[in-house]
Amino acid sequence: MDKEQTPKIARRTTRSLASASTLDNALTEVTNCASPPAINHLIVEGDPDVDREGTPQIPRRTTRSLASASNSDNVATKVTSIDPPTINDLLVGGDPISLDDLISTFPGRRNQVLELVRLLGPLNSPILPLFVYGGPSTGKTSIILQLFRHLNRPLVYSSCSTCYNQRILFESILNSLFLHRKSAANGYSNAKRCERPSDFVNFLREALANLINNLKSNSEKSKSNKMEARGTGNMVYLVFDNFHLVREWDKSSTIVPFLFNLYDLLNIPELGLIFISSTSPDTYYANMGYVEPVPVFFPDYTEDNLHQIFLRNQANQKLYSSFLDVVLRPFCRITRQVDELFATFKSLFEKYCEPLSDNGVVPSEDMKRRLFSHLKPHIGSYLNEIFKVSFPPSLELETHKETKRKGNPKKLERYEEIEELEFHMSTCAKYLLISAFLASRNPATLDDSLFDSTGGSNSRKRKRKTSTKVQEQKQSAEEELLMKGPGTFPLERLLAIFQCIVSVAEDPSDEEDQRNDGLGIHGGNGGLMSDVLLQLSSLCNANFIIKGGSCAIEGSTRYRSAISEDLALKVARSLKFPLSKYLYRR
Amino acid sequence: MGRESHKMKALSLLRSRICDPKFIFKPLHDSPDSNYSKLKFMMSSSITEACNNSILLLGPRGSGKSAVLELVVGDLLVEYPDMISVIKLSGLLHSDDNCALKEVARQLCLEHQLQFSKAASFDDNSQFMVAMLKECGLAHKTIVFILDEFDLFAQGKQRLLYSLLDAMQSITSQAVVIGISCRMDADQLLEKRVRSRFSHRKLLFLPPSMEDSKSILEHVMSLPVDSSLPHDYAVEFNRKVQDILADRRFKETFNKYLNFDSSVKHLLRFLFCAVSCMDLQTGFLTCENFETAFSSIMRQPKLECLKNCSILELYILVCMKRLEVKEQTLCNFNSIMKEYKNVHDSFRTSDYYARNVCLKAFEHLINRELICFTDNRGHSSSVEFRPAKLLISSSELHQGLKAYHSCPAILHKLMDREG
Repeated sequence: MDKEQTPKIARRTTRSLASASTLDNALTEVTNCASPPAINHLIVEGDPDVDREGTPQIPRRTTRSLASASNSDNVATKVTSIDPPTINDLLVGGDPISLDDLISTFPGRRNQVLELVRLLGPLNSPILPLFVYGGPSTGKTSIILQLFRHLNRPLVYSSCSTCYNQRILFESILNSLFLHRKSAANGYSNAKRCERPSDFVNFLREALANLINNLKSNSEKSKSNKMEARGTGNMVYLVFDNFHLVREWDKSSTIVPFLFNLYDLLNIPELGLIFISSTSPDTYYANMGYVEPVPVFFPDYTEDNLHQIFLRNQANQKLYSSFLDVVLRPFCRITRQVDELFATFKSLFEKYCEPLSDNGVVPSEDMKRRLFSHLKPHIGSYLNEIFKVSFPPSLELETHKETKRKGNPKKLERYEEIEELEFHMSTCAKYLLISAFLASRNPATLDDSLFDSTGGSNSRKRKRKTSTKVQEQKQSAEEELLMKGPGTFPLERLLAIFQCIVSVAEDPSDEEDQRNDGLGIHGGNGGLMSDVLLQLSSLCNANFIIKGGSCAIEGSTRYRSAISEDLALKVARSLKFPLSKYLYRR
Repeated sequence: MGRESHKMKALSLLRSRICDPKFIFKPLHDSPDSNYSKLKFMMSSSITEACNNSILLLGPRGSGKSAVLELVVGDLLVEYPDMISVIKLSGLLHSDDNCALKEVARQLCLEHQLQFSKAASFDDNSQFMVAMLKECGLAHKTIVFILDEFDLFAQGKQRLLYSLLDAMQSITSQAVVIGISCRMDADQLLEKRVRSRFSHRKLLFLPPSMEDSKSILEHVMSLPVDSSLPHDYAVEFNRKVQDILADRRFKETFNKYLNFDSSVKHLLRFLFCAVSCMDLQTGFLTCENFETAFSSIMRQPKLECLKNCSILELYILVCMKRLEVKEQTLCNFNSIMKEYKNVHDSFRTSDYYARNVCLKAFEHLINRELICFTDNRGHSSSVEFRPAKLLISSSELHQGLKAYHSCPAILHKLMDREG
């Protein structure tokens, strides 16, 4: 499976590259044919787009970005030719696809597809705004786009994550409606400059009127010569993907009610609006109302659906099916998102196949049992690392980074940074990180005793005394740490601790060239101290240290360390610094 | 093929009717005390008598204020050609005074074939508007200003409203200002200087009664007998619609739906869904269509969302609920983890996962908007420490857990204990 997967991904990239770098289709076809026979069955399927859309195993972001580019796919291939863009560019490219094919490409989505077909209705029938919602990686965007390919009707797709503000969204919609293509000739400018909703509505009216007239005359023509079996109709559909992001754009905004009311504002029956959101309609609080659009719900995949999805495009169906029987249930207890499971299953399947010499074998009952017992000990550890896969430095990394971005960038990126910490951080930065960690963890009053060699006994004495009151204090302090997180500290304290631990650390080390007297140490420090503020600001930028607001009384900026204890210990180990000695244990 | 196509045609016809507000409100205006007649009388009298007027149309969203106005304006344009020019503004688009006046100037220029300058300032535009009002007044031409979402115009300094209403105080001008708002107190939002210039005519739009809703349904759903559609098909179709209207089950559903919100737009949404469910094989509407439509519109998003959750996510929700019951002042990821560990320690559950897995599940919940952070500091502090709260009620969680088919028994127990 793995062997097969890699070329597939590679091929995918060639395609996206091809479409991006204005290579023509012919060239992509050549690369397709040259690709290893393992993927031949995909080509035999006849329809590159089907497999592109229909393999939910591939992290969704790639498919989506490709899918969204599906009309620019055409565009890109045509850039070399000079003919101006036509209405056909608004159609989702690719060969026609039948409804049955469409349903079979998306396992478990039959009801949703049929519901959408019903709501979209026959050719040239007006539609109220639709609101399509469901969790991430449930196939909302892909199904809509493929459905329009099936219906062969023009749509303008705009994702609110790439069009990240109101102006870009408006201009990109207008660009596609005015059939305007950015190119070197027009200096990559937009069709219209449009910032306000009021301008947008005016331009939109104009553009839609033109377009719909165009479409009408086209359909008249096709009716007269009967050449085209599939008319495109008079309707134009605007699709707003990732609509939930719009809520963030402008807190006290009018943009959400504006877009929801767009249909009533324009009052053009030939316009269809489709909103795609990953959150349900009740999360759109607005201080002004709107008539709610018609909801279409995409539930998360069930276990059976997932089974079907993961079986798609597997070389050895039987073997993979028995693998899924084993792993799917425990993993579904944690998450049912395809993109997240995919990454884990990939490496887990390799483990599963380890005892096998030939991956093409059809497993017998006995073998299944054997494989299961081989896999069993690993499942537990994989369950706990489901989101923490170490990625091979390959193309996959790219795709995963994209998936990560939407989750919580901070947390996941940090895992990566743990692996690569050794290579990216200077010694100075590491010391700085440790001292920040200490400053955040330890109460400021203890600095004296911890870093002063004479004060050590003092603190020990205090520790030994445990009355009930102290115990209580301890508990409340613990609670506070749990709730408030690491404490804050001023810059001066950080620098003082930094100075101390650097001098301590360099003192006993034998590998270091300059030991001897205090003067020499100072010299060494000078080297480390020189750009410490620079390092600090870069650590702040990397979110290791958080720069808080300034304290009202003291007036200076306060900092706070954001790293976990594990990470701090790891850093300390790499420096051979005895961190635990300096940690104040409550 | 022929039979198929007329069914298709019928479906398209029904859909285009539903999407066309003018069609819906047409039959409502025959009676003399309908809003249509009142509004038409007011407007036509101010046109013929060449006086200024200002009217507010108030009513809940989707009760047909703009649609009726549109009908009236359309009729008046036919009745008095060349005597009216209509300027339409919407509070959603033009709540900014500058922008609104520019739009007024643009539409005036468009109407009277004048050159519109984009660079004109607020003053220029406002002077232009006053001059145009005067000119039109001399030519006995009424300018009708339609201000949709009127309450939004009253937000800022109300300069537009002031300059508009002030210009209307002179006898030379001839204009009608019509505000549309779903805020009943829209006229209370006006400043004193604006309010004193406003003639307080208000028309109240009420959502239709049950009977009216039914007649709207009948009006929309009945196919014309004398059209291109086959006669017997249309007759049969209308008979089926009548049958549905008489059906007891349908009445129940219909009542339930309208109890929730009885505005016309809301009704149309229902009809749209029902019509789109129509089976093209038979080509007739059935009672089931309406029931399907009802269940597809009346969703319970929170319960759906709970159904999507994984077991681990449910654990976290239940832990948060427990913390809430314990009346802890603050709840963040760390305290949830502590509770989660407690639960695990006391019940030895099989679902005990590492911290980072839980953190990810926690983030999923945030994305699902079942929980949210209570501070809005953004990314300044790490996720573990930010206080969070539940966005679903205890009963919803109960219900959700019951509906979840493979929910571990321990979760029910944990929920019940807090009761």
